[in-house]
Amino acid sequence: MKNIGDKLSVLIFSSIILIPLFLALDRLVWVAGFDPVRWFSSIEANHLSQGSVGFTFLQAILSTIATIAIGLPIAWQLGRYKWRGTGLMRAVLTMPFVIPSIIAAMGFLAFVGPHGMGLRADQDTHLWTLIIAHAWFNMALVIRFTEPVLSTLDRDLEDQLRLLPGGKTFWGKLKNLWIPLLTPSIAAAACMTFIFSFTSFALVRWITPLESTLETVLADVGERAGILGYEEYTNDLVLASSLIQFTVMLASLWLMSWLQEKRQSLLPQASENSNLKPNPRGLLILVPGLFFALAPLVTVAWSSFRIPVREQGELTYHWGVEGWIEAWSGGYSNTGVGDALLNSLGYAGITLIVALPLGWSLAKTIHELELSKSKWARILDVFTMLPFAFSAVMIGLGVLLGILKLDGELNSLWLLPVLPHIMLTTPFVVRIMLPAFRGLDPSYDEGARILGLSHRARFWKIKLPLLRGPLLVAITFTLAMSLGEFGASWVVARSGEWDTLPVLIDSLRSRTGWDPLIQPTAAAAATTLMLITLLLFLTVERFRPKGEGGMF
Amino acid sequence: MRAGTLVFALLLIMPTISGCITDIIDSGFENDQVTGPDTELVIVTYDVSGLTDSMLAEFENQTGFEVTLIKLGDAGSILDHLLQHKGAQSADLALGLDNTYLQTAIDAGVLVEHLAQVENLSDSALEPYDGPLAVPFDQGWICLNYDTDKVDGENLTIPISLWDLTQEEWRGRVVVPSPATSSPGRAFMTTTTDYFSNDGDNSTEWTDWWSAMSDNDLIITSGWSEAYETHYTGGYGEWTDGHIGDAYLTVSYCHSPGVEAYFGGNWTHSAALDLDGASFHQVEYVAAIDGGNLIAASAFIEYLTSESVNANMPIENYMYPALDGMDLPEPDGYRYHSIVPTTSADVSMSTIAVEMDDWISDWNAAVL
Repeated sequence: MKNIGDKLSVLIFSSIILIPLFLALDRLVWVAGFDPVRWFSSIEANHLSQGSVGFTFLQAILSTIATIAIGLPIAWQLGRYKWRGTGLMRAVLTMPFVIPSIIAAMGFLAFVGPHGMGLRADQDTHLWTLIIAHAWFNMALVIRFTEPVLSTLDRDLEDQLRLLPGGKTFWGKLKNLWIPLLTPSIAAAACMTFIFSFTSFALVRWITPLESTLETVLADVGERAGILGYEEYTNDLVLASSLIQFTVMLASLWLMSWLQEKRQSLLPQASENSNLKPNPRGLLILVPGLFFALAPLVTVAWSSFRIPVREQGELTYHWGVEGWIEAWSGGYSNTGVGDALLNSLGYAGITLIVALPLGWSLAKTIHELELSKSKWARILDVFTMLPFAFSAVMIGLGVLLGILKLDGELNSLWLLPVLPHIMLTTPFVVRIMLPAFRGLDPSYDEGARILGLSHRARFWKIKLPLLRGPLLVAITFTLAMSLGEFGASWVVARSGEWDTLPVLIDSLRSRTGWDPLIQPTAAAAATTLMLITLLLFLTVERFRPKGEGGMF
Repeated sequence: MRAGTLVFALLLIMPTISGCITDIIDSGFENDQVTGPDTELVIVTYDVSGLTDSMLAEFENQTGFEVTLIKLGDAGSILDHLLQHKGAQSADLALGLDNTYLQTAIDAGVLVEHLAQVENLSDSALEPYDGPLAVPFDQGWICLNYDTDKVDGENLTIPISLWDLTQEEWRGRVVVPSPATSSPGRAFMTTTTDYFSNDGDNSTEWTDWWSAMSDNDLIITSGWSEAYETHYTGGYGEWTDGHIGDAYLTVSYCHSPGVEAYFGGNWTHSAALDLDGASFHQVEYVAAIDGGNLIAASAFIEYLTSESVNANMPIENYMYPALDGMDLPEPDGYRYHSIVPTTSADVSMSTIAVEMDDWISDWNAAVL
C-alpha cells in the first residue's frame, strides 16, 4: 500500500466492518459467558433451532446444484450464439438477484401456491419450492460468471482443438476444453450461490415455514440477545449460529478467492466474438429461462391489480387499482410508497457516495498487492468479502448491538441504516472492480506516463474510460442492492418515518390479512421497486461494453 | 431553558392544544418531571394496525407534536427494545406491551409515571394492572379457535378438555405459535400452566400435556401469522398464497371469528372454543418511557384513550376497546361470532415475570 488513500480505505473498511461486529460479539459473550461447548450444544437443545444446521446445509447444497443446472445452459446459449436483444435478456436474467428476497418470496408463493399453479400442494413440496426459488434468485451468478468466459473464447482455439486427437469427439472437447475452461467460473459461482442460499432469510421464512435455518434462528432470537438477566439462552443461540455461519462462509470465500485468481489466469485474452452464429434451437432453453426469471415478478405485478373479494365463503376477484391507491397514499402503513421510495433512493445515493470510492480503492489496493506478489493480496481480498460471511441479519445485529454499546442515542439517527448498506455493497464493488483492474493493460498507463501525462490526467483520460463498463455495473449493483436491502435494515431500524421500500413491503406483507386489500397493496409497493430496479439494469446494459463481465 | 420560557414556547407552537394537555404540561413542571422542550414524540411499537396515518396526523394537528414510529415485530420486541436501550432510550412512549411483558418492563425500571388524565377505563382492562406506569388501550381474550367445517362433531368432536387434543384424531391437526417467539404463544403457554394446576389432577403437570401434544405431531410456528394464516384451515389464510392448511385448531383470539365474519360478509367457518380456564385475558398498554418526552407521551396516552379514538380499536386494531361501556361493533356479525370466555386463566403479572424464563425452559424440554 503505497499511498495514504489506499491505507485510509483499508482503515475505513476495517472500522466499518470490524468495530460493530467486535462490539456485538463482546456484548454477547459478556452476557452468555465464554462457554463455546454450551453455545454449540444449545442449537440442538432448543426447539427453535433443532435441526437447523442440517437443514441449512441440505438446502444450500441442493440449491447450489439446482442453480448450476438451470443457469449453465442459459449462459451457454447467451455466450455461444448470436441473439437479438442480448442486453435486455441479461438485464432480465439478472433481475432476480437484485430483487429483494421478500418480493421473490411473494412472487413464488403467488406463482406456485393454491391460487396460482397449485404446485406447492403439501409439505413435501416445500423444500423443492425453496430450492427452485434459490435457483431463480442465484442463477444470475452462474450466468454472469460463465457467460463472459464463453463469449470471449477465441474460436480459433476450438478449431485448433478439433484437429487434435483429444478434440474430435464431444466428450474429448468436454474433457480437454470446456471442463478446464469453465470449472473455475462454475465453482466460483457455486461458492457464491452456496453462500447466499446458506444465509437466505425471507425465502426460507415464507416458503418453508416449518423449517429453520441458522439465519432464521438469528432473526428469531437476535433482537432479545445481549440483555443481561433476560432470556439469556438467546445469546448462546446467536453466538453458535453466527460462528457456524462465519466459519462456513469464510471457507467458501477463501475457496472462491482462490478460484477467481485461477479463473483469471485461464481466461483467454480475446475480445468478444463478433462472428457468433444464430441458434434457433437455443430458444428452447432461453425462452423457458426468461419465463422462469420473469414469472414470479410478473405474478407480483399481476397480483397488484387483482383485487380479492370475500363474500359468504366465496372468493372472487376483480381488476382494479385500489391496491396502488392504498400503497401510494399510505392507507395501510405509516409511509406511502412515494416517501418510502424517496427514503430508499436517499439511502442508496449516500451508500453509493461512500461504497463506490471505498470499493474502488480497495480493489486497486488488492491489485497492486497482487502485482507485487504480496501475501497480503489474498488476505485483503478475502477480508473485503467478510460481509458476505456475515448474514445481513447478523450485520444488522452487529450494528444495533455495537452502536448501542458506543452510544444508544446514535440508534435513533436517521443515517444509521446507511451503515449496513455500505457494509453489504462495498464487497460487490470490490468484486466487480477487481477483475477489471486485473484485466487492465498496464502498457496504456505506462505509455501515457512516458508522454508526460500527470497522475490525474492519466486517471481521467486513460483509466476511467477503460474502466467505464465495470464502473457502471458497480454503480448499478450498489444502487440496486441498497434499494433492495432488507435483512439488515429490518434489524437495525424500523423507524416508520425512514422506512425504506423493502421494509414497507415487509410491513404490509406482515399485516394480518383479514382485510383483502392488504395483498394487492403489498404487491403494488413491490412492483414499484421492481420497476425501478429493472430501469436501472436496462440503463446500465446500454452503456456496458460487450463482453465486459467482471464478476457480474 | 427555564420552565416559564418553555411553557411559553410550547403554547406558541401548540395553538390548538386542549386544556387537558395544557394541564399536563403545567403539572409536569410543578412536579419537575418535564425532561425538555422536545416537540417530537418517538413511539416504539409493533405493527399496531390502529396507528393509521390519519390518526397520527390528527394527533399531530391537535397537539403540535411530531410523531416518529419505531416499529418492531411484536409486544415482546418492544420489551427487548426497552431493555436493550436501558439508560439510553431513543423513544418516549411504548405502545403495545401486554400483561405478559409489562411487569418485566416495570421491574427493569424503564417506564415512568405518566401525567395523563385517563378516565372511564373498564374494570376488565384494569384487572391485570391498575398502577401509574401504564394505561390499557385495548384488550382481548386469547383462546383456541377451530374450523367448524372440520370439527363438525362427526369427523372430529369439539374438545371439552385440552387433553382431548392429545388423542389420535387430532394428530398433526393443532398449530400453536411458539411461546419463545410469539406473544399469543407466550400467553397460551401461561394459560396452560394455570389450566393444569387447577384441573384436579395432581398426577400430571402442564409440561406433560405439552409433551403429549408434541408426540401427537403438534405444529409449532414462530409467530401467530404463520400459525393462523399458513396452517389454520378456518381463517382467512385459505385465501392467501402461502397457505398450507393442515391444522383444524389454532391459538388466536376469542373474537377472531368475529373479525373473519366482519371482513367476509357476515360469514365464517371459524369458531372460538370456550373451554373453562383455557383462555387468557390479554390487555395491551401504552406507557411513558423513562428519560423520554413525558409531556408528549402523556398527551398521546390521553389521545389514545379518548372515546372517539378508543372506540375505533375493533376496526383499526381488531381488539376490544379499553373504555367502559364499549364493545365490538355489531355489523356483519363481528360481535355475534365473538365470545368472551366464561373463565380465563388467573395468572398475575408478577408470577409471569418471575416464572417466564423457567416456563420457557420447561416448555422447550417438553416439546423437544
